[in-house]
Amino acid sequence: MLKSEKKWALIIFLVILLAYILPYTVFTDVTKWYGSFFVWVILTSIVIVLNIIMTKGWGK
Amino acid sequence: MTVQLVWLGLGIYVVISLIVAYLSRSGKQTNMTSYFLGDRKLGGFVSALSYSATTYSAFMLVGLAGLTYAGGVGALGFELIYLMGVSLVAFFGPRFWIVGKKYGYVTPSEMLGDRYQSKTVAFIVSLASCLFLIPYSAVQLTGVGLLFSGMTNGEISFVTGVIIATALAIIFSYVAGIRSVAWTDSLQALFMIVSSTAIVMLLIYQMGGFSGFFQSLENEHPQSLQVPGNGVFSFPAFLGMTIPWFFFALSNPQVSQRLYMPASMTTLRKMLIGFLVFGFIYTLVAVIWGYSAVILYPGLESSDLATPTLLASGVIPPVLSMIVMIGIMAAAISTIDSILLTLSSLFARDIYGNLNKNATDEAQLKVGKFVIPVIAILAFLFALLQLDLISVLSIASSAGLLVIVPSIIGTFFWKRGSAQGVIWSVVGGGLVVIILEVLKYTTKFLFMGLASGIWGIITSTVLFVVISLMTKAPEKKAEEFLSYVRTELKHHIGDQS
Repeated sequence: MLKSEKKWALIIFLVILLAYILPYTVFTDVTKWYGSFFVWVILTSIVIVLNIIMTKGWGK
Repeated sequence: MTVQLVWLGLGIYVVISLIVAYLSRSGKQTNMTSYFLGDRKLGGFVSALSYSATTYSAFMLVGLAGLTYAGGVGALGFELIYLMGVSLVAFFGPRFWIVGKKYGYVTPSEMLGDRYQSKTVAFIVSLASCLFLIPYSAVQLTGVGLLFSGMTNGEISFVTGVIIATALAIIFSYVAGIRSVAWTDSLQALFMIVSSTAIVMLLIYQMGGFSGFFQSLENEHPQSLQVPGNGVFSFPAFLGMTIPWFFFALSNPQVSQRLYMPASMTTLRKMLIGFLVFGFIYTLVAVIWGYSAVILYPGLESSDLATPTLLASGVIPPVLSMIVMIGIMAAAISTIDSILLTLSSLFARDIYGNLNKNATDEAQLKVGKFVIPVIAILAFLFALLQLDLISVLSIASSAGLLVIVPSIIGTFFWKRGSAQGVIWSVVGGGLVVIILEVLKYTTKFLFMGLASGIWGIITSTVLFVVISLMTKAPEKKAEEFLSYVRTELKHHIGDQS
């Protein structure tokens, strides 16, 4: 794996880890729209943005 | 919904798709690369839409909506973790694409066979793919059959629905191979996303906008906004569902084969990003759809009824219900035709091609085309057995295919991986999944409370590593393969490190 890839892999991995941890801990008792629903939506948006930035240089 | 309305919608859908399929024929499709990979020249827009249509099946608006109905927000987490897992394409996509071009691979199993220098590897991986994907296709066909009979109160029979879906899948994949699949997929993807989003918006509007929608959930169904909620999404269950799907982009050949097709790295990027955005929207739509059923029709006997109940209710005008129904059917068919095509290429290239050493590319193509309807009919017969539990079975297929993942990772990241390691890993892991799935189906038994996919991936990883260390790896090939990937990768992804 190239050096730059390792950096991205680590960041994405951490975000995904949060997607497993947060809803089952901090937000497990939050029965509002800003609970797990919002957390998962935000974390996915972050991952999509990370993918966009990471692949910016492809083919150039 | 009246039968006439369903036939009308279906007729329009069939005519338009057939025209698109026919128009997609271009160039001479006289070799495997052309027929199954579109000469590795697929554009970004079509690649993204087709990838989306192939990935998202009837499962979304039926199974995922049902899961939301049954267990609440965990269904969203499950599907979005899968989507985040598609980031794997950002790492493996360029690698597949680079070696595909260099060595001329048509199928992912062919790549494994060459990298590990063993025809048995290609043979076994293909066989495993067929073993798990034919039932998966059958489940999709069953879904279409149930949808038709359910929506028309049996006036269009289950079997008629299944026959229509099978026939369309065969036609879409046969007419021009991947070209007709990709173009009809794109049309269907657009239809799926536009129609379902519009109708979900209408539902939200009727429930008082997003604030009214969430208020109903918060006040009347608070458990549906948390995990584990009512217990459907206990953490072990969540883990068991998400792990197989997390690796879907690598484990399922009908999508990993797509990584060979884009015309350039820029196109590959468009495919990835386009898919992520599509998937994000479609997931939200399917989950909101399920939630709408929670709000409007709580207390249904089974969560499988969530979608049919919503469609049959007066809340949605009949014409719109019919459009959603056709959208669900399109989602199923666009998945089945891609699987059909991929499995045919696997059979022709890695099973027939390896059994017949003198098989030319032309002969392989002939066999591939012959096999398309054969596999479709197998799936059709499977579907007639009427195995329901749509979400459960499609997850089981994913668990089975998961056992190929360690070998795929090893292909690009581990020089010591050996052919024996792959063979034991796929066979051993596959058997563990099958045995556990049978036990679960017959006796509800869950080994240590964890799903079959988890045990499958643990077994296959351990076997791959241990057996590889005990046997001889194809060092020369690994060295050449990996150093080529490294050099090209730096060039293609704009990294100089």
